[in-house]
Amino acid sequence: MKQFVIIGNSAAGIAAVEAIRSKDKTAKITIISNEEYPVYCRCMISYYLAGEVKEEKLFYRPKDFYQKNNLELILNKKVSRVDPKKNRVVCEDKTQVGYDALFIATGARPRFPAIPGIKKKGIFGLRTLKDAKEISSLIPVTKSISVLGGGLIGLKAAYALRKRGIEVKVVVKSKQILSQMLDNPAAAFLQKRLEDNGIELLLGQDVTEIIGEGDIQAVKLGSGKVFGCSMVVVGKGVEPNIDLVKEAGIDCKDGIIVNNLLQTNIPNVYAGGDVCASSHALWPIAVEQGRLAGLNMAGEKIIYDGSLGMNSIEFFGLPVISLGIYKTKEGDAAYEELKVCDPKENTYKKLVLKGNILVGVILAGKIKNSGVFLRLIREKIDLSSIKDRLLADDFGCPDILDLVKDKEKVYV
Amino acid sequence: MSKIEEKSIDLATQEALQKAQDENIKTTWDRLDCQQPQCGFGQLGSCCTVCNMGPCRIDPFGEGAQVGVCGANVDTIAARNLARKVAVGASAHSDHGRDVAHTLALLAQEGEHKHASGTHTHNYTIVDTEKFHKLAKEFGINPENKSKEEIAKELSKKLLEEFGKQEGELAFCQRAPQKRQQLWRKLGLTPRGIDREVVELLHTTTMGVDNDYKNILNTAMRCALSDGWGGSMIATEVQDIILGSPQPIRGKVNLGVLKENYVNIVVHGHEPVLSEMAVKAANDPELVKLAKSYGAEGINLVGICCTANEVLMRHGVPVAGNFLQQELAIVTGAVEVMLVDVQCIMPALHEVSNCFHTKLITTSSKARFPGVMHIDFTIDNAYETAKAIIKAGVENFPNRDKQRVSIPKHEMDLVAGFTKEVVFNILGGQYRSTYQPLNDAIVSGRLRGLAGVVGCNNPKQTHDLFHTVLVKELIKNDVLVLQTGCSAIACAKQGLLIPEAAKLYAGKGLQEICEAVGIPPVLHLGACVDNSRILTAASHVIAQGGLGEDLSDIPAAGCAPEWMSEKAITIGLYFVASGVYTIFGASPFAVLGSKNLTNYLTNEIEGVVGGCFAFSDDPLEMARLMIAHIDKKRQALKLKPAMY
Amino acid sequence: MKSLSYDVKKCLGCKSCEIACGLAHSLTQDLFKAVKEEKLSLPRKNVYAVKGKNFPLSCRHCDDAKCVTACMSGCLVYDQDKGMVMHDESRCVGCWMCVMVCPYGAIRPDLKTKIPLRCDKCKDKDEPACVKACPTGAIIWKETL
Repeated sequence: MKQFVIIGNSAAGIAAVEAIRSKDKTAKITIISNEEYPVYCRCMISYYLAGEVKEEKLFYRPKDFYQKNNLELILNKKVSRVDPKKNRVVCEDKTQVGYDALFIATGARPRFPAIPGIKKKGIFGLRTLKDAKEISSLIPVTKSISVLGGGLIGLKAAYALRKRGIEVKVVVKSKQILSQMLDNPAAAFLQKRLEDNGIELLLGQDVTEIIGEGDIQAVKLGSGKVFGCSMVVVGKGVEPNIDLVKEAGIDCKDGIIVNNLLQTNIPNVYAGGDVCASSHALWPIAVEQGRLAGLNMAGEKIIYDGSLGMNSIEFFGLPVISLGIYKTKEGDAAYEELKVCDPKENTYKKLVLKGNILVGVILAGKIKNSGVFLRLIREKIDLSSIKDRLLADDFGCPDILDLVKDKEKVYV
Repeated sequence: MSKIEEKSIDLATQEALQKAQDENIKTTWDRLDCQQPQCGFGQLGSCCTVCNMGPCRIDPFGEGAQVGVCGANVDTIAARNLARKVAVGASAHSDHGRDVAHTLALLAQEGEHKHASGTHTHNYTIVDTEKFHKLAKEFGINPENKSKEEIAKELSKKLLEEFGKQEGELAFCQRAPQKRQQLWRKLGLTPRGIDREVVELLHTTTMGVDNDYKNILNTAMRCALSDGWGGSMIATEVQDIILGSPQPIRGKVNLGVLKENYVNIVVHGHEPVLSEMAVKAANDPELVKLAKSYGAEGINLVGICCTANEVLMRHGVPVAGNFLQQELAIVTGAVEVMLVDVQCIMPALHEVSNCFHTKLITTSSKARFPGVMHIDFTIDNAYETAKAIIKAGVENFPNRDKQRVSIPKHEMDLVAGFTKEVVFNILGGQYRSTYQPLNDAIVSGRLRGLAGVVGCNNPKQTHDLFHTVLVKELIKNDVLVLQTGCSAIACAKQGLLIPEAAKLYAGKGLQEICEAVGIPPVLHLGACVDNSRILTAASHVIAQGGLGEDLSDIPAAGCAPEWMSEKAITIGLYFVASGVYTIFGASPFAVLGSKNLTNYLTNEIEGVVGGCFAFSDDPLEMARLMIAHIDKKRQALKLKPAMY
Repeated sequence: MKSLSYDVKKCLGCKSCEIACGLAHSLTQDLFKAVKEEKLSLPRKNVYAVKGKNFPLSCRHCDDAKCVTACMSGCLVYDQDKGMVMHDESRCVGCWMCVMVCPYGAIRPDLKTKIPLRCDKCKDKDEPACVKACPTGAIIWKETL
């Protein structure tokens, strides 16, 4: 009987488990997690913090999931190192678990800037359910909060806390919010929506110090300006949880390096999700990687064709999706941008093409056909014949039927 | 497919439908099934086919197109669609009125001609001289020392001018209470010329003219008023003059009036001028003799739809049925000829008549079928035409397949012919013709109020059900019901148009009145063109005093529970524009796609003209709404509550 | 297992299927009332016109559904027996991941309710409303293998 070990109990880990089980009904599968909860959706904790979903809805698999799939679940245990030579993992409490194949899906953790006061009480990331619960428990005594970082986590935290009635200031180092996801105009759209709903955004600023004796009292900006707050949420990016492989001889560079079978340099050790290098931190990508890794661990040989940066967010009724290359250098002749913007309707649509092939998209307001664009990007379809249709309001799947790989079955 | 009992409450109809089904003959109900589901854009009035940039439709559920290619929004589109229907409905009744006025003009000419040659026999004459003179005076013609031909010449000229007038006011507007006339003038609703209002309304609805739904509605109201207080009223008045003013008369109704051993001739449509001659021709001894020679016992002339109402109330001619029974009359297998004129003649009649020996004969150059026998009717060949048609029927008798004849036995008595002159005069007794007793009855609360229940049938609703349930509920609550058209026939079939109905169905107050005067609780006022009689009668009620100063003050309400025709919309709109609260059943106007227009029609407009629309698909709710409105008006007049 | 397909030659683009779909998913199930509902029932089907042909478009219930993989709340599940992507609206948070990845653009984000809408083959009814509504028989509802 084969023995599989999965480190990490989130998107990639669970997808891997399900994939293994779909191929191998009898193998022993052990999941080790340093958290205290069964599988929950990390992306949804900001909804939980905002009070929009109840805790039980975060658990995206039924209660009997582990039992039904005959899985061994070890919670509250941190793996301290992987020992590929002996095909085992060693935990902090020195217990050991052997494996035939290992999947590392330890994810990432918030990156805290090295500034004075960063170790104070009342400074949080927003990565785990535990984080959300701790922040939530302080809400009754919190009037105002500073969010460090205008990325996805920072803004999700800001949105959630604003929804809970707290005064929110977001300090953003760059000149726009969501610089990792959006171009300037789309960011400006969203910025207006956030500001209209009472979130204060301080662009081009950085927090240099967190002030307070014991409890937090204020933050200080690079400009010298100081403003009061009693809590800080940090959303300044993440770093992969790779401590456990540091001495294992597994190749890393800003994350674990995997080949297109999601294998590390050690053949029976796989990795997927946010812990991987150059992976885009996104739920569907983690799931896809976990699923393929799982299948490959169970004996398949399925090629992963690489992840594509994409994301979907919505704040205060304005949905925004970005896919692929969303920003090009000004004057770069290799790229062509098609844009349409209607501030009155709150819609924005930008397509980035390279040699008549779609490489990136930003959609704000109207997002319905996002998946059609995603397909065009993935399939690298020459769009010269339908270029004039791409920005049309009624552009959709029927426009590309003649161009895509799959033979049409639904329209006869 | 629904059960036969769900298609009609009328037993004769059920029987005939069963026969149609057994013989695999398709009727309107089958065709309705084939049309399911009907287009939602059409039902909501959010489809526009006005110009060739379209057709356009407005998504009623959200994010699809909210304006047409030209930029028209759903308010404009729905208002234009409604307005066009109003124009068509007004045209139908008014063109009918024009034809009748034209008959009067020809009658004058023929009279002159006769004087000159002394040989020509014309078929029409002045039957109601009193009314003739009264109408002449109303148009400023002094009838003294003038021959009837001279008066007819002058009067018909004046009447025909009403159609072509460009300025001024339609003469019959003077019949409305002063206050109403002033309101119309203030709102610019007073119609100037019948044809002009139709043309102007159509103009405003073409691409790129009127985009203000309220303004479109205003123009539509003016057009509708030109029908109610113009074209329709002319039709009614002149028909009374040349065909005779109806008097209360007993008759029989339903398919059972077809007779197995007789040559059965059915007249169907709306204009009674030819049917009048058909009635005479059916009694022509020569033709009766011919019929007997073919083995028939005689000639039996009956009617369908409003032509039936017309010949019923003038001659007591039996009524075979209302709108939805036109095909079924043929399905009995006992009809030799169906003679049709204009309006509400189903195109399907040709197909159904082909299943039998029945000859369908069209008579109006305006209304023909491909492949159907046409005998063109003009008034100088009227009697000859009628005879030729009856003769064709008699000669068709031997072709009847006796094996396939099955006439439902159901028939019912009714009393018809309560015109505005007789309706209420009768309440005052023969020698004291006044509206006072009616007004007194309402003031005292013995009568709660008046209701006009009118309109068509519609297979979307169980045939006759809404008419009868609604009317029964109204008379139960001491509301005197005035009826026209197919609605009157529906209630007649259920025995509501006989004096005995008062005892069975009416509330105590209404019962007392009916018994004292000897009238039914439900009064038959004529064809749908005769809805104008209700307007005149209501004006008399106001003139009599005690019930306010305007039509909108009267404790009264109107309803078309099973409507289908564009004419019904126009009638509804001229009632509303005259201040009457009016309910439409079956399905609402095709305006619900526009919230603004719907709200205007059912709410805001009451503040403008004193009447408004309501839509309901439940006859008891309709009754409740009407009674509530009547009570509201009673309260406003500070009348005592209803007595019982 | 039955599924929807379309005879494009027969589609006149009348959008009757759109209305029927909206109506079938309304609270009142009555056209005249449905258009007055507070939360309008949006059609899950749309007709697109491309080069003179009309294409009714709605969820195809792919067996390798990208939306199911992308769903982070666990509200989407592919039901093998029914041949359908099942959507548990009570678990859905409106993250639009499914919309982002649907290769057919067949999921309609209802921004008002924050629920993505898709064809549910009219659930318990023996025939979807759009099939009944199509006046030309362009929408085909038949067994697929």
